[in-house]
Amino acid sequence: MTHCKIKFAFAAAVFAASASYAHAEWPNDRPIQMIVAFAPGGSTDVMARAIEPFLEKELGADIVIENRPGASGEIAYTALSKAKPDGYTFSYINTPGYLSMQVQRKLGYDPKTIKPIVRIVDDPTAIVVPAASEIKTLKDFVDAAKAKPGAVSYGSSGVGTDDHLAIILLGAATGTTFTHIPFSGAGETRTAILGSQVSGGGLNISEFAGNDTSGLRMIAHFGTDRSPQLPDVPTAKEQGFDVEMTSERGIAAPRELSDEITQKFGEAMKKVLDNPEFQKQAKQLALPLAYLSGPDWEKQMPDRLARFQKIWNETPWVK
Amino acid sequence: MAFLDVLMLGFSEAFTPTNLFFCFVGALLGTLIGVLPGIGPTATVAILLPVTFFLPPLGALIMLAGIFYGAQYGGSTTAILVNLPGEASAVVTAIDGYQMARKGRAGAALAIAALGSFFAGTVATIGLAVAGPTLSSFALSFGPAEYVSLCIFGLLAATILAHGSVIKAIGMVCLGLVLGMVGIDVNSGSTRLTFGSTELYDGIDFVVIAVGLFGVAEIASNLEFKEARGVLQSTIGRLWPTKQEFKESWGAVLRGTGVGTILGVLPGGGATLSAFSAYSVEKKISKTPEKFGHGAIAGVAGPEAANNAGAQSSFIPLLTLGIPSNSIMAMMLGAMTIHGITPGPSVIQNQPELFWGLVASMWIGNAMLLVINLPLIGVWVRLLKVPYRLLYPAILLFCCIGVYSVNNRGFDVALVILFGVLGYVLRKAKCEAGPLLLGFVLGPLLETNLRRALLLSQGDPLVFVERPISAVLLLITAGMLLTLILPAIRKGRKEAFEASED
Amino acid sequence: MSGSSTAKRDFPDILAGGVMIGLGALGLWAGRDLQFGSAAMMGAGFLPDVICGMLIAIGAYVLIKALGKAYEPFDESNFKPLIILVVAIAGFAFMSETLGFIVSTIWLLVIGSLADQESRWREIAISTVLLTIFGALVFIYGLGVQMPILPF
Repeated sequence: MTHCKIKFAFAAAVFAASASYAHAEWPNDRPIQMIVAFAPGGSTDVMARAIEPFLEKELGADIVIENRPGASGEIAYTALSKAKPDGYTFSYINTPGYLSMQVQRKLGYDPKTIKPIVRIVDDPTAIVVPAASEIKTLKDFVDAAKAKPGAVSYGSSGVGTDDHLAIILLGAATGTTFTHIPFSGAGETRTAILGSQVSGGGLNISEFAGNDTSGLRMIAHFGTDRSPQLPDVPTAKEQGFDVEMTSERGIAAPRELSDEITQKFGEAMKKVLDNPEFQKQAKQLALPLAYLSGPDWEKQMPDRLARFQKIWNETPWVK
Repeated sequence: MAFLDVLMLGFSEAFTPTNLFFCFVGALLGTLIGVLPGIGPTATVAILLPVTFFLPPLGALIMLAGIFYGAQYGGSTTAILVNLPGEASAVVTAIDGYQMARKGRAGAALAIAALGSFFAGTVATIGLAVAGPTLSSFALSFGPAEYVSLCIFGLLAATILAHGSVIKAIGMVCLGLVLGMVGIDVNSGSTRLTFGSTELYDGIDFVVIAVGLFGVAEIASNLEFKEARGVLQSTIGRLWPTKQEFKESWGAVLRGTGVGTILGVLPGGGATLSAFSAYSVEKKISKTPEKFGHGAIAGVAGPEAANNAGAQSSFIPLLTLGIPSNSIMAMMLGAMTIHGITPGPSVIQNQPELFWGLVASMWIGNAMLLVINLPLIGVWVRLLKVPYRLLYPAILLFCCIGVYSVNNRGFDVALVILFGVLGYVLRKAKCEAGPLLLGFVLGPLLETNLRRALLLSQGDPLVFVERPISAVLLLITAGMLLTLILPAIRKGRKEAFEASED
Repeated sequence: MSGSSTAKRDFPDILAGGVMIGLGALGLWAGRDLQFGSAAMMGAGFLPDVICGMLIAIGAYVLIKALGKAYEPFDESNFKPLIILVVAIAGFAFMSETLGFIVSTIWLLVIGSLADQESRWREIAISTVLLTIFGALVFIYGLGVQMPILPF
C-alpha cells in the first residue's frame, strides 16, 4: 500500500539518526529524553524543538522531546524527580511556576530532588495596552486604577503565572487594586488586549516581540535592565515602581545525576547558546537568551522563593 | 484589478512543483492521521516542526496547513464509518453519517462530505482573500459577553441535535457542562471535581470522552447480540450519491458554508460551534425533521461544509492579526516565527508572495483533498466488509493508542473505561451522547466568559444586552426557544385535551 | 398502548433519571469545599453547584414522569462483551507506560477479541501479530507516539 511507503519515508526522515547508536557510554546508549511540561505548540515547546538539533550536534546524541503537560508543570516535574539519574532524562523547567507552585499547594515531588543545570532564557514580564489607549506610561496605568478603583482591568495568562504575580506586586507596591482577569495562555490575553476587552494585560517580552506588535503598546516591563529586544521600553524601576518579575526557562535533571554528566551537559548547552546559528533562530523567536550555570541559577532560587512566600502570605492568589 | 493581481501572484507561488508536492504530502498525511482517532494534527505538526526548519518557509507552511485540513476531513471518515468522532466538530457528522453507513449509504455520505467540504473550502478561501481583515475585526469585537451569548445559543442548538426526548437532552447537556468543569478553575486557580487526582488538573480531554462514549460503548453494544452486527454489513450499495441525495444536500452545503465561514473566524470554540449550528439550522428548516438522526444526508452535508469552512476561516485571525485561534494555529504560529515570519498586517504588506501563496495553496489543498479522498471512498467502504470480529479489535487498538498519545499516559486510557461504561448505561437509558459532548466542549467557554464578563462589568448583568452583538445573539436564541416551545405547548394542550376525553 | 395500562413504568427513563441524580449528587459532593460566591462575583463552586442542582432536578423530573409512563422495558442486554472490553482496556492502560507497546497491545487485542463469541483463535493470533507490527511501525516509529516498545 502506498500510504505505508509514505509513512516509512517519514519515519525515516524524522528518525533518521536513531539507527546510528549502539551500546556505548553516555550519551550514546539510547536517546536522551527531554521532558517539556507543556503541550506541543507552546512557547516552551517551540523553544525546545529549536534547541533540539543544535544540542544533538553538540552532544553527539539523539534527543527525543516528550510532552508531559498538566497541572502547570507538576506532572512533568514529578516524572523528572522519579527518573533514573543516568543522564537520559532531563526536563525543561519554568519559573516562577516551578517555585511558586511549592508555595500554593502540596506537590507530588520534593523540589530538593531536582537539580537545575542551565538557565537559557530570562524573559521579563511586561504590561501591554491597546495602541489606541490613553494610557502611555506605567504611572498612567496606576493613576487610572487609583482614580476609579476596579475600572482598570488587567488580563493575565492564568492564576499564579508571572503576569499575575507581577500585578499583585504592583498592586501591593502602589496600594491600588486592578481587576484581574485570568485567561488561559498568552494568545488569549493578546487577543483581549487587541480587542480592547481589557484595559491592559501581561505579556512576556518574547510573547510580545515575537509576534506582530501593531495595535499594541508596551508601557513597561519588570526586568532589571532594559531589554535588548525592546530597548525603547522603560523598566518599571525607571518609572519609579520597585517591582521585578521575569519568567525564566532552563533545564533540570534528577538531583543524583553525576557531576561529570552534569558538567558535560551544561557545557554543551553553553556552546549551543553561543552558536551564532542558534542565536539567529533565537532572535526570530525573540527569545531573551540569558545563560546562567546551574549552580548560579540555583543560588538565586531561595531568594525568589522567599519573595513568593511573602506575597502568598499577604495575598494568596489561589483561594 | 489589484485583487486579481495578488491572486495571480499567489497562484504562481503555490503552483511550483515543490510546493504542490508539499501540499500533496500534507493533505495525504493529514487525511491518514485524521482517520486514526486521537492522533491529532497538533501532535503531528509538532513532530514535523523540526523537519520544517530545513524547508523553504512557504513550502513548510503549505505542508502544515495541508495536514490541518486533511485531518479535519479525515476525522469525519471514521465518524461516518464506525461512529467514532475524532474531534469535536465530527460529533455531528457521526449522528447521521453513521446511520447512513448502517443503511449501506456510507459511500454517499463520504462523497457528499468530500464534495461539500471542497465547495466550502473554496468559498471560505475566497472569503479569506477578499474579506480577511474585515472578518478579523469582527473576531476582535467578540468579547466575553458576546461569547456567553454565543454559547447559550449553541447550547440551545444542542437540544435540537437530539432526536429523542428534549428534557433528557437538556440533562445530558448539564452532565457535559459538569464534566467540562473538572480541573483547575481558570478564574480562581482552585482545583475542582478532581477527586484529588493531579492527572485531572487540566480537565478531561475531549478524545477520552468521545472514544469512551462513542467508540467503546458502540463496540460493546454491537457485540451484545449477533443480530446487532448483521446490520453493519448488510449492503454496501452504490458509492455515489443519488440524484435525490444531491438535491437534498446542495442547500445544506450552501448554508453550512455560510455558517462555518463566519463562526470559524472566532478564536476559541468557533469552528466547533459551526458544525453544531449548521446541523440545527438544517433540522430546523427541514420539511422532514423526523429523518434527522436516522440518516438524513442534509445532516451530513451541512455540518461537513461548515466544519471545513470553519477550518479555513480559522486562518483569518492568525494571518491578519497573528492570533492563533486553536492549538494547531498556535503550532502554525510557532512554525512561522521559527522562519522569521511574524503573522499580522505586516506580512500582507511586506511578504505578499507568502501570504497570497498560502491563500492560493489552501484552495489547491482542498482540491488535493478531493483528489485523494474520492478514490479512497471505495477503500474505506470496503473496510466495512471486513468481518466485525476482525474489525473491532483494530478499532479498539487505534482508540487506545490515540487516547494514550494525547498526554502520553495510561491514565487517560483508564478514564476511557469509565466513559465507555457510562456510554453503555446511557444507551440503555436511551440518552444521547451528542448533546453531552456539546455541553462538554462549550462548558468551559461559557463559564470562563460568563465570569470574565461579570468581572469586567463589575457585577452588572446588563452587559449582555447592552453590547449589540451579544443582544442580537440573545434575541435569536429567544426566538429559537419560542419556536421550540410553542409547538410543544400546543401539542401538550392537545394531548391534555385528548387525555381528558378518554 | 393503553391495553397494558396496568403495567406502567418506563424503565430506560427510570435509569436515565437515576444516573442524572446520582452523577449530580456526586458532583455536589466532590465540589462541597468550593467557594460559592455570588452571581456577580462567582466563586469556583458557583456554576458546578448550580448545574449539578439542575441535573438532579431534571433527573428527578424524568424519574417521576417515568413512573407514570406506559410500560417500556430495557433493550435486551448482554454485559459480557462490555466486561471483557473493560478488562482488555484496563490492562492496556496499566501496562502501556511500563511494559511498553508490544506487551500491552497483545493483551488488548487477545483479550479484547474474546468479547466476540464468533472469534476464532487462529484469526486472533494472525490479526494480533499483524496489528501489533503495523501499530509499532505506524504509531511508535512513524508518528512518534511516546510509548516504550518493549519493557526496559
